[in-house]
Amino acid sequence: MKKNQPNHPPKLLLQFFRWYCNPDFAEDLEGDLYERFERRMASEKPGRAKWFFAKDVLSLFRPGIIRSFWPKSFLNPTVMLRHHLLLTYRQYRRSPNTFLINVIGLASGLACAIFIFLWIQDEYQMDRFHAKDQQLYQVMQNFPIAGGFETTEYQPGPLAQALREEFPEVESAITVCPPLGSAGNKGVISNGEKHAKASELYVDPEFFQIFSFPLAVGDPEWVLKNKDAVVISKKLANQLFPSSEEAIGQAIEWFRGDTTILFTVTGVFKDISAQSTLQFDVLLSYPSLAENSEHLRTWANSDPYTYAVLKPGVNIEALNDKISTYLQEKVSASVEDPNYKFTGTAFVQPFSDRYLFNRYENGRPAGGRIGYVKLFATIAFFLLLIACINFMNLSTAKAIHRAKEIGVKKVIGAQRSSLISQYLTEALLITLLAAIVAMVLVYALLPQFNGITGKEIVFRPTLTVLIGLSTIITLTGLLAGSYPALYLSKFQPAKIFKGKLTRGVREYWMRKGLVVFQFTISLVLIIAVILVYQQIEFIQNKNLGYNNERILTLKQDGNLRNQFPAFKTSLEALPGIEAVTTFRHDLTGDFGSTSGVQWEGQAEGQRIEFGNLEADYGLMEVMEIQLVEGRTFSPDFATEQNKIIFNEAAIKAMGLKEPIGQKIMLWGEPREIIGVAQDFHFESLYEKVKPCMIRFSPNNENILVKLQPGSPKEAIVAIEETYQKFNEGLAFEYRFLDDDYQRLYASEQRISRLSRYFAALAIIISCLGLFGLAAFTAERRAKEISIRKILGASAASIVQLLSRDFTRTVLLALLVGIPISYLLSQYWLQSFAYHIEIQPWYFLGAGLLLLLIAWSTVGIQTLKAARTNLIQALKDE
Amino acid sequence: MSKHRLGEFEELVLLTVAVLYGEAYGIAIIDEMERRLDRTVSIGSLQTVLRRLEKKGYLASELGEVTKVRGGKRKRFFTVTNLGRKALEITKDQRLDLWNSIPNIAFGD
Repeated sequence: MKKNQPNHPPKLLLQFFRWYCNPDFAEDLEGDLYERFERRMASEKPGRAKWFFAKDVLSLFRPGIIRSFWPKSFLNPTVMLRHHLLLTYRQYRRSPNTFLINVIGLASGLACAIFIFLWIQDEYQMDRFHAKDQQLYQVMQNFPIAGGFETTEYQPGPLAQALREEFPEVESAITVCPPLGSAGNKGVISNGEKHAKASELYVDPEFFQIFSFPLAVGDPEWVLKNKDAVVISKKLANQLFPSSEEAIGQAIEWFRGDTTILFTVTGVFKDISAQSTLQFDVLLSYPSLAENSEHLRTWANSDPYTYAVLKPGVNIEALNDKISTYLQEKVSASVEDPNYKFTGTAFVQPFSDRYLFNRYENGRPAGGRIGYVKLFATIAFFLLLIACINFMNLSTAKAIHRAKEIGVKKVIGAQRSSLISQYLTEALLITLLAAIVAMVLVYALLPQFNGITGKEIVFRPTLTVLIGLSTIITLTGLLAGSYPALYLSKFQPAKIFKGKLTRGVREYWMRKGLVVFQFTISLVLIIAVILVYQQIEFIQNKNLGYNNERILTLKQDGNLRNQFPAFKTSLEALPGIEAVTTFRHDLTGDFGSTSGVQWEGQAEGQRIEFGNLEADYGLMEVMEIQLVEGRTFSPDFATEQNKIIFNEAAIKAMGLKEPIGQKIMLWGEPREIIGVAQDFHFESLYEKVKPCMIRFSPNNENILVKLQPGSPKEAIVAIEETYQKFNEGLAFEYRFLDDDYQRLYASEQRISRLSRYFAALAIIISCLGLFGLAAFTAERRAKEISIRKILGASAASIVQLLSRDFTRTVLLALLVGIPISYLLSQYWLQSFAYHIEIQPWYFLGAGLLLLLIAWSTVGIQTLKAARTNLIQALKDE
Repeated sequence: MSKHRLGEFEELVLLTVAVLYGEAYGIAIIDEMERRLDRTVSIGSLQTVLRRLEKKGYLASELGEVTKVRGGKRKRFFTVTNLGRKALEITKDQRLDLWNSIPNIAFGD
């Protein structure tokens, strides 16, 4: 030994050797390895010695030295299974309470998980039914605005054709164009005297080759070839014709805006499923639309959508760059101003991804609905975990009852592995029972669930559902069963029979830790409920800068458009109606925008993006948008077209002083500022109020009718009658503006309702577990309690004695849960530009509520314990 | 006869164990073989052969004393059994028999 330092062979290799080596040979072989290593350490560098050691260990890893990995004894699996089932049955017959708690807890957790699984599955199925889904992309455009990009789906009309012809990466590309400038307005389709409202899309002839919407009648390749072709939905065909087949070849009138066009029905498609984001009743020819609209033929405008089927294996990043360069070149060249340089970019996004990844930041997809998918998946996981914890806690707590059984089995010769398999079987069996209950629950409650989520989910045993369900059930069973199985099978028989089975401190803390965890989750959920509720209340009661109550809105469809003045006059004559006006947009996020404004004092290169609202006379009065100064549009003045109203934010952004009477240039034409409106929210409260202008525009698509307070029903009936006079046979469709506003926060409201249910479930499941544990404690301490009572303890003092422990547990959960929920609350609220401040009482209230619930749960048990008959508890010894 | 057939490496290991009489444990056998036969012997191949020969009954083994070196692990000393000796002798006889039967003319003596 030259080097006098403790040099040891690499530990990991040694462990590997010990793991594989036949135990009969292990000692001397390890000694040999050691000796060779020591010898080499003395003569060579340590690194080389270690290298040789590794070589030796590997050289020994061969048959003859490696131990046998087969279990030493084989037991007949079916007999063992029967045995396990019998023991499970006996075990639970002895303690039906535990059985019920486990089944109820796991069943509610599983039901929740199944619901969320179905929902997530449905979300993922959106738009994925197209045969070319893997190759189907939509072209998106990043439009430069102040401080970043606005990502839109609108593309220049000629783009699809350019992609088809000049991009070898593209297999095919089509344009799909929504009706322009109609704000969700429907057209009217007529066959003679039969009319129906319908929403149309203008599409290229290859539409049915790219999208797999099934046709009821017609050849997908040919139905859209002619420019006067129309393909209608089965529902429409049945409304207008005796049958789908008889519709083919018939002429129909299409009435939209001011024009009526004749089309020939060439095909009928089956009604579009709810799993498609593209929804339409009528398909018309895009080439014929483009022929009549110049702006669809230039690169300077972006109106239609562009979809492309890419060839397999295309480099997406390179294609994005290529399209961007191409687009910049074309758009810049098409604008007359030679100094203009278009800096927007384009990218392709898988069409079926657009549903889940529908938010964009800096011109890239950045989450969206996928956030909710993740959120609910997390909640489902935690709820299941809570239920599993109940099972673990009750199983380990009750272990003392089974200790003798385990001892006897081990003495007779049961191996640990067979005990583990017994307890896992038990857990899986309970989970399976719970799963059956859960599935019945899911089946029964599905309509309610669909109501909350706004989905049309059906619970059918498809392959995905079956795989998903069995995965959830198996994982739950294993999760719930593994800890008890490992814990129970570890008992040493000698200790059991000597009665020395001490319950370790570690086990105590483990159980306590799990309960703390359960209550932490419950607390977080309670606080989430309070928070979401408060924020939604805040949104609903926030002064929006306008009043949307009692305003009914309907679309200017059918004959209303060309006969609007008459319609308006008849409406105004009705009782119960205060005023009638029209609006191009709504105040829930639909608005145009432009940066084409020049004003005095504008700095070089300064551009402001203005919201662009178009309003009729009387709109600001009907909406009660307040003016800071100036006046609103009025028929008393001529040439209102040359006037403009800004909001305060716009005036501030432009830095105008004494704005009234000043002239600004809008799209190269002068406009006189006649009024300044107080800031009002024309988007959701996720956004700050932006600069915006109100232009005068008579006879817009949205008709707003302000009703008098009192009986809206009669007024609505009267409006409907008037509507029918103008549009005979068309359905009267109307909405209330404040409902539209509520719909803006539909997803928040959904979360609010769902989180209430989830929180309630979490609390119930946690309390079930606590209830079981309390019952167990009371049972174990029955003698102690009886002796205390004999010595004069009151029932109250005994309840206090038994509750103290649980109180501490819940308090610990509060300590852990409050900071977590504080951080989560802050994170969520930050996504709103206008939000509530977090109040301490949310946490205190939630904590107190949880404590009360826990107390009452434990209290029932302890009270029962405190009142038991002393003789019963003490008589047998 | 066939059951006493020894492989070449088996024969060498048996002989080396016999040579090292009483001192034949893993490392010593490797050292001796490498010294005398001028070949490298890997620990893995040697040990599998040792265990196989022991299983066949040609070798017996017992564990030695605990020492401070070798990480406190005992050595396993191998000895050739009577059966092993018989197998060696049979092999040797067969070789000799073959040598003796070579006609002189074959090697041109």
